[in-house]
Amino acid sequence: MDGIVSITDMSFSYRDWLSSRADALCPPVLSHVDLALEDGSMTLILAPPDAGKTTLARILAGLIPKYMDGALSGTVMVDGHDLSKTEPWELVHCCGYVSQNPLDELIAPTCEDEIAFPLESLGMPRYEIIRHVRAALEAWGLVSMREASAQELSGGERKRLLLAVQDAVDPKVWILDESFDDLDVSWRERLMDRISSRSNTSVVFGSRYLDEFHGTFDRYGLLDGGKLSFGNETDIALEFERLCETPYAASASKSVPGFIPVSDTAGCGRSVMPLHVMEREGKEHRLSCTDVSAVHMRRSMVQERPFTLSVPRFSLLGGEVVSLCGPNGSGKSTFSRLLCGLDLPLAGTFSLDDDVASRTVLNRSVGYLFQNPDYQIFLPTVKEELAWSLKRAKIPQREIDRRVGECADLFHLDLDETPSTMSFGLRKSLQAATYYLLDRPFYILDELDSALTYATAFDLVNLLRHNGAGILLITHDRRFADALADRNYTISDGLLSEAEEGA
Amino acid sequence: MTTDTYVAGTGVLYRFDPRAKLLLMVLLCIWFFLPVSLAGAWLVVLGVIAAGVLSVGLRRMFRTFLTILPMLAFMILFIPFNVRSGEPLLVAGPVVLATREGLLQTLRLMSRFVGVTFVCALTIQSTPMGKIMLALRWYGLPYKASLVVSLAFRFIPFIADSFSQIKDSHRLRDPNIDEGKGRKGYRSKLGDMLPTLTSALVVSLRAVPSLAMSLEHRGFGLPGKRTSYHVLETSWRLFTDLFISTMIPVALWFLFAVR
Repeated sequence: MDGIVSITDMSFSYRDWLSSRADALCPPVLSHVDLALEDGSMTLILAPPDAGKTTLARILAGLIPKYMDGALSGTVMVDGHDLSKTEPWELVHCCGYVSQNPLDELIAPTCEDEIAFPLESLGMPRYEIIRHVRAALEAWGLVSMREASAQELSGGERKRLLLAVQDAVDPKVWILDESFDDLDVSWRERLMDRISSRSNTSVVFGSRYLDEFHGTFDRYGLLDGGKLSFGNETDIALEFERLCETPYAASASKSVPGFIPVSDTAGCGRSVMPLHVMEREGKEHRLSCTDVSAVHMRRSMVQERPFTLSVPRFSLLGGEVVSLCGPNGSGKSTFSRLLCGLDLPLAGTFSLDDDVASRTVLNRSVGYLFQNPDYQIFLPTVKEELAWSLKRAKIPQREIDRRVGECADLFHLDLDETPSTMSFGLRKSLQAATYYLLDRPFYILDELDSALTYATAFDLVNLLRHNGAGILLITHDRRFADALADRNYTISDGLLSEAEEGA
Repeated sequence: MTTDTYVAGTGVLYRFDPRAKLLLMVLLCIWFFLPVSLAGAWLVVLGVIAAGVLSVGLRRMFRTFLTILPMLAFMILFIPFNVRSGEPLLVAGPVVLATREGLLQTLRLMSRFVGVTFVCALTIQSTPMGKIMLALRWYGLPYKASLVVSLAFRFIPFIADSFSQIKDSHRLRDPNIDEGKGRKGYRSKLGDMLPTLTSALVVSLRAVPSLAMSLEHRGFGLPGKRTSYHVLETSWRLFTDLFISTMIPVALWFLFAVR
């Protein structure tokens, strides 16, 4: 059946950069894929991390193989365009793509310029551009940030900006690669309303929020092992859950005392087993702060009132998991940077075990896993990346090799792999693994779960707290937070407070 | 990859037309190379710095100064050695270390270097990149060329921002953080910076295809004339600002020209 999107017998392999031969290829990421989407249809394609979601999304957007070397065979047609003969700019009107990592995609100096850029390319009259930009800014809650630089937006705000760009152009086909991640619940609902209320064809690549997607899509697909299959919602969800059944729980439970694999996977509402944690030797640590405040100015725009963070009281005990939830741009990352000593507060004190903690003490005690793993990964191989901190700590080479090997097994990482070519999910696993080896008493996980399946995210949290570490879990996923956290904090408009039990 | 150098504000410089601002920038840069008195050149440098402090703030101006500080240090260290003839100022035995002429030449070069740097930095910091692009196009630069200029100016601070983020990240991962602080040699300090520099390079290289991909996916390359969201109004205000931009360097020339 031909439709607005038609893929026939398509296979794709990336170029093997480690080989000396120019035509050497990696094993196929996608193999003999067939896909036909009718105009106006809504399709959800589930896939575990590293299954080829982003590759398929970029092929549909006409960006692969042009920008990423590899061999593409078969036919890909979008709105009558044969993508092997079409340049990406010819697809502006018919195919829009929202990537998983928004910072990669943003090109203009301000939010409004970002939205206006494709409209200018299309030669739209200025008054029309103004109307579209205004409407998109309003629809995605970005009016107050219209002159802000995207670099100064939070992760969720950047994602909304990319969605606003799509909304303004309004292409016939929307390709959304994990676009629900990074968004708070109200914006996820807004996005769902948006794609279900218009006549555009939507292809959503996802690995989470299945309960929020329930009953919304026309078709449900599963991408695994390079193959794309379709079925009814329940079958696909169950198969996805089976596939995601914690890939490294088995090995982890053998190696880490006290580790219990978590079997809740696809977020289908099953209860989660309580986490059993091995106690850290010595005294239990306590990280706290009182009356902390900080002011954050956006350099790129004149603000009548700068953003102010206020934290009357916060505490985190060793072995505890505490969640922090709040809307996009509410100050979660600002607080995280203060808590690990990267930034200094305007007022207030941080304490470790009831002693005032200096910036250096916080740096050494609190591991902060950034939202973007690429800022924390820098060496050419996984092995070197994992060994870096241990070498700096002057640990004997034999011991380094042992620890690195064990860690790679636990996190299911290939020691010889190149981090920069790994999938976003695997890069997050590597980021977690580097901190696992540091063995900090506290960790801040800033949206660690974004772009990961529940199973993988649970496992990473479990591994990081294997030695009784306290975890501050920053997430937009209430279900994930409730399943893991002993206590919850919320943050809204810069005010952080502890949520009442049962709230 | 969107950081730009613009610092939002509402002062006089921000209200000045970007076309006039670009003209003033070019004329002032030329002015520093005219035969003007050394005292006059430094007075103009101080004037530019004062305008910068009032517009974008002392902190930004100081950061600009820090970026050129190593270059200034090189000038101070090496130029006086290079000019040996003239009235000796510093002598070690039979060797003339510095002369009056060498010192004057160093001060002259420094005034030009500092002046041009601050004039350009102030223009870029007080003008949104979109408006700089429009002004360049008004002067006849083709759209693609002005986009390249604009992207280049955005890309450099993007790398700087990435560098700062990565440095923070490594600070948290380094078990020897602050160990021996203040006692480390340059080689050790450089060695400590290597992981950060490597990461910044990786992030920057990764950004290149993403940037190209994004530009083309947003229709860059489509045949036909691009329209523009922003426009620069042409009114009497433009004429006044252009006139002021021309008169400032002319007046400074009459004030400080060496006769």
